[in-house]
Amino acid sequence: MREFTKGFVRENPIFILMLGLCPALAVSTQVVNALGMSAGTIFVLLGSNIMVSLLKNFIPDEIHIPAYIVIIATFVTLVDLLMQAYAPGLSKSLGVFVQLIVVNCIILGRAEAFASKNTVKDSIMDALSMGMGFFFGLTLIALIREVLGAGTITLFPMGSFDGVIEIPGLVSAPVRIISLSAGALFVVGYLKAMFNWISSRASKEEF
Amino acid sequence: MTATMEKAGKLALICAISATLLGFVNSMTEPAIATRKAAELKAALSSLLEEGSPGAKEDISDAGSVTARYPVEGAGGWILEFNGKGYGGDMKILASYNEEGTILDVVLMDNAETPGLGKKAEKSEYMDKFRGTGGSAGPVPVTKDALDSPDSVSGATITFVGIAAPLNEGSAYVQSLGGN
Repeated sequence: MREFTKGFVRENPIFILMLGLCPALAVSTQVVNALGMSAGTIFVLLGSNIMVSLLKNFIPDEIHIPAYIVIIATFVTLVDLLMQAYAPGLSKSLGVFVQLIVVNCIILGRAEAFASKNTVKDSIMDALSMGMGFFFGLTLIALIREVLGAGTITLFPMGSFDGVIEIPGLVSAPVRIISLSAGALFVVGYLKAMFNWISSRASKEEF
Repeated sequence: MTATMEKAGKLALICAISATLLGFVNSMTEPAIATRKAAELKAALSSLLEEGSPGAKEDISDAGSVTARYPVEGAGGWILEFNGKGYGGDMKILASYNEEGTILDVVLMDNAETPGLGKKAEKSEYMDKFRGTGGSAGPVPVTKDALDSPDSVSGATITFVGIAAPLNEGSAYVQSLGGN
């Protein structure tokens, strides 16, 4: 269980391990992108962690990086093809970032640091934990950026609901800079400070 | 030597399995993707026209960013297909013109622009600044300074120029064709 909960705060990939920041900064302009990106990343992370863990004795040390990259790229291409065929809307809005999951440091990082040394079962827990941590971090950044920067919350359209919730007051006068690149850095910086504060408080209590 | 061969062999095996798997999935998803793209193109072409209907596609190779044209049957004018250069690489743009080279409507098709910034150009309102410009109706705005409200494209200058420049070229191209 500890393996599963570590990703949320204690070893959160975005705020504590500082991994996967490029997609976190780039796609966090709308909540719906964060959800789609997280779903894709969790799938790839799960697939690559399982495969790397299964093949850890088969892959020689000297070629482990190219081997991992091939495995990761295969899963990413699968996600990309399936999204294009069956979820075209999401595929359109995520654009190039789906392919970029290949170079997301979280995935190679976990394959290298965890899955290549642990059992399949633990690797699955690690992938779910890190994936959920990424989901939590990314959605938090996207929620703050979209609410402040655009005054809306964009989710998936369902039936008569078009997927966009407008926040009264903010939608007519949003803090535009928060939705631009600089705003992404501000938001991640403040959240990082908050996570540091939480974890330093927690470690003081232990003593 | 044998150790090296073994490593190369293992890597080749992993690649071969990946390639087989992807080939299989590709053969399953390809028809679905092709059908969707064809339907999208058809919907986009008819959304560009208030009257008339798009004729057969003619590929163009010697007119800058114009890659293809569709004569508009019934109403006259042309629909042009462009390859614009955006922030995230190539963008496919479709635009309808009347015979004088005035832009009637524009739609951004395949692109890899940044979600939340350049991607906003996929929305119909974005193209309001181009509708009814070009030809006898006045110049196509090709810089942000030429717009009444430059704020509307803040943060996505490269996308804007990537769409505006081909549209302007298209206007001149249609004028050079004369009527169809």
